[in-house]
Amino acid sequence: MNRRAPSPVASSMTGPTTMEQNRSRTITALFDELSDGVYTLAVRLLGDRHLAEDIVQETFLTAFHKLSSYRAEGPIAAWIYRIGYRKSIEAHRRRRDVPEDPAVIARSEARLAASAEQEAIRSELVASLDRAIDGLTEPLRAVFVLRDIEGLSTSEAATALSVSESAVKMRLLRARKELRTSLKEYL
Amino acid sequence: MTISCDHLDSLLPDLFSGDLHPEDEKAAAEHLATCNHCRVTVSDLEHVGDLGRRHGKLELPLEAKVRIRSLLGDA
Repeated sequence: MNRRAPSPVASSMTGPTTMEQNRSRTITALFDELSDGVYTLAVRLLGDRHLAEDIVQETFLTAFHKLSSYRAEGPIAAWIYRIGYRKSIEAHRRRRDVPEDPAVIARSEARLAASAEQEAIRSELVASLDRAIDGLTEPLRAVFVLRDIEGLSTSEAATALSVSESAVKMRLLRARKELRTSLKEYL
Repeated sequence: MTISCDHLDSLLPDLFSGDLHPEDEKAAAEHLATCNHCRVTVSDLEHVGDLGRRHGKLELPLEAKVRIRSLLGDA
């Protein structure tokens, strides 16, 4: 969305900025900074780009509504990733527990066909990396995405995933070892 | 005498997180200077991280970005 510059009349108004406006600005700034990262996490966890878009939307709307309850227990980026991670896991469980109707399956098949077409035009390396990441278990994939792809610190990733820093370190090593085996020809 | 390969392996979680104690860092460096097997392993594992950084990111499609941003502005 393009934000219009404040009109001269609006600029001349000296009334206090409302908390709602501040909250909206804060979340919009966070969205600009982190939406690609949350999207990457959701796609990598769910394997569905359309569902991942919904996760990004839900994540930032939730953050908007809960911003006042954020208590700075850690960096705000980790808080946002934690919301996105939880929503991705919930979506994954819902998808697993509820049998899909034929229309949904047909849409998924169309998406898969579109994904295959996209994959064909990407480099072999990127496609191999995608497949290798998909082959990791969810806990390892989540850590690899947050630490290596998105560049979060050990502490931030631990906060986002609600696990210990030690678990993050061990999972990162296991993820890299598994990927090393899958990607041997590119190393 | 340098540390064993197994000992080096046990230091890898902290090594890749930049959290090695100076003593362990020195021991790891000494081992890697003399063990080709571990040197290749560490180099490969670092390279895997680099591949993720360089090729693992995805971009939220512009259309979705505009739509969600607009929702947030109106929320």
